[in-house]
Amino acid sequence: MQGRLRGALRLATLLAAGIGALAWLGRNTDPAAKPLPAGPLTLGAAIAFTGNANLYGQDQRMGLAVAERWAQQAEAPSRPVQLQLEDGASDEPSAIAAFNLLIRKGVIALIGPTLSQQAFAADPIAQRQGVPVVAPSNTAQGIPEIGHFISRVSAQSSVIAPLSLDEALRRDPSIKRVAVFYAQDDAYSTAEVAIFQKALAARGLTPVTVQRTQLADNDFQTPITSALPLKPQLVVLSVQAVAGGNLIRQLRELGYRGQIVVGNGLNTPNIYPICQRWCDGILIAQAYSPELNTPINRRFLQLFQQAHGDRPPPQITAQAFAAYQVLFEAIQRLERKGGLTGVTLGQARANLMTELLNGTYDTPLGPIGFSPEGEVLQDRFYVAEVRMAPGGRDGRFALVRERTLTEIQGQESKP
Amino acid sequence: MIDNGLLVQMLLGALLGLSVYLPLAAGQLSLATPAFYAVGGTLAALLSTRWSALGATASGGFPVPSLLLELVLGGLLAGLLALLVGRLVLRLQGIYLAIATIALVEIVRVAILNLPFTGGAVGIFAIPQPFATAAGYLLPALALLALAGWLCQRLEGMPLGRAMAAIRDDELAARCMGIDTTRVKLTAFVLSAVLAGSTGALAAHFLNTWNARQGSFDASITTLAFVILGGSRTWLGPVVGGLLLTALPELLRPVGDVRLVLFGLVILLGPVLAPQGLITPGLLERLGRWGERRGGSPAEEVKP
Repeated sequence: MQGRLRGALRLATLLAAGIGALAWLGRNTDPAAKPLPAGPLTLGAAIAFTGNANLYGQDQRMGLAVAERWAQQAEAPSRPVQLQLEDGASDEPSAIAAFNLLIRKGVIALIGPTLSQQAFAADPIAQRQGVPVVAPSNTAQGIPEIGHFISRVSAQSSVIAPLSLDEALRRDPSIKRVAVFYAQDDAYSTAEVAIFQKALAARGLTPVTVQRTQLADNDFQTPITSALPLKPQLVVLSVQAVAGGNLIRQLRELGYRGQIVVGNGLNTPNIYPICQRWCDGILIAQAYSPELNTPINRRFLQLFQQAHGDRPPPQITAQAFAAYQVLFEAIQRLERKGGLTGVTLGQARANLMTELLNGTYDTPLGPIGFSPEGEVLQDRFYVAEVRMAPGGRDGRFALVRERTLTEIQGQESKP
Repeated sequence: MIDNGLLVQMLLGALLGLSVYLPLAAGQLSLATPAFYAVGGTLAALLSTRWSALGATASGGFPVPSLLLELVLGGLLAGLLALLVGRLVLRLQGIYLAIATIALVEIVRVAILNLPFTGGAVGIFAIPQPFATAAGYLLPALALLALAGWLCQRLEGMPLGRAMAAIRDDELAARCMGIDTTRVKLTAFVLSAVLAGSTGALAAHFLNTWNARQGSFDASITTLAFVILGGSRTWLGPVVGGLLLTALPELLRPVGDVRLVLFGLVILLGPVLAPQGLITPGLLERLGRWGERRGGSPAEEVKP
């Protein structure tokens, strides 16, 4: 017993000494005070390769890879840029660890993390250390407000979501009865459904039923069978991709024939194999359309298809490309102005943030810029309809309407 | 390399490991730790963002005494919940108790998700910071761990700790010897909850944000793995298990996409190669006698 007590004390002392040593070795983690080294600058990206957000993370990885190739093939850049990818996983501690790791390695700016909930955990760290962050896929309210160094290229759902409702109402002005489905334990769904409901109310429609589902649900018989007797003429869905595909399929199989409007979570071609021919005709509002005919989007499409075959890139891939592109272009402008010579890394990061917010960018998403807070200013949005190929195996988002924000706001202030 | 942020996460892991260890020391397999962790974290997140009397500043600062108050309150609230729930669920044993505690985790998660003031699925964000850098969190986390470790070490010699060990070995025999087994089990359960609640309060500030995902069934399994890998017979086992398993996925980053495969392998091979866990009473015994056998000075470097 005595020996065991002494052993425990020795091991505890050893552990305490080990922790003390680790704390001492890991104390100064940010090389911000060091002068900016010559040569290529490193962009850090922390996106989800593992966990339940990895469906989006894989799309983002493709976008960043295409952006790297685009940057390499651009005419000799004033300052070369290289990319370092880290797995930010799908939980908050991993996103924090990935951000800390990249900041310690001396990146000039960060791209990520994939989920808004992760952004609320990791972004304050970058903000405190003064590292610019461009979020490619955070749509929750309050992200740019985390601080000066936080910005995003992903438009909030409040701007996009109502557009598809307008299209459905334009097609059938007699719609009065609307059913709403959303995943109540998902941050994205609950935020977006609130916007859909507000938009419905603004158009004088009250949902006849609001059905709550869970993030991990795949069987929707119960919510559907309680909604269908109310004879909805329009169904609005705000759920993640896999659940959404199944929900649409089961809605159709159980006999619903009306229009379906879906949210941003289904904005990926990954839903086609799930709902197959039943996907046909669903309406979705998008921040990106592969059919946009501008030089940069044609270039993006070409590079994407070289790598991934003849299919259109998803929105989230285009947004990841745009996140890289805005940072790359801001770095080139800053280099030409001399803002990257004779400064410390910390100053270079601060200069880059100012330069980033002041610029305008011609991206595959269309022309974008930033508000002083770091919120994306995007004027052009799209409404697409899913058209499935005859076999029901593959399909595409067919552009049905292009809207500009100025035009939408003009219309909203009318009534 | 391990930076201070990761070190804080490791210490939080060790604390949660200890919280699973305490009921286990009385022979009770409770997976409720994440529920109490979530309760403590939610309380701290709510208090620091909504209650201005605690002194959160507009620039996101937060006084350290208020943080300590939250640690105490988080622990108390979790302990109170454990007291209420424990009376009911501790009548169950073995796998039935495990299932009942999983249900508690789920109830707490769904409650936090649906309460009108906990921010729904997005949760509570912009939690004010008592320290400017992650290094600041080292001190309270270490202090909490030292306190919990000291308590666990003291327990081995105290009547309560001996009663817990007796129940673990044979509950019926312990009851026949006159040990009030219900009370002892309940005390261990409440101690575990207090520890998890305080850890949650600290974690809420460290993570900057808090939502219902923090206390999930997955976390139950992770914290149980800390104890199984580290060893459930001494309090140092869960501490070592928590430190190692929290650090490992980050240390494996250089191997790229297969890092989680390797991590899974470690969890699989750990119990196969060391069924009692890494730290066993026998190991501590050998470590304690290490100097004597050689007859050398005890100040020599100590290595198992």
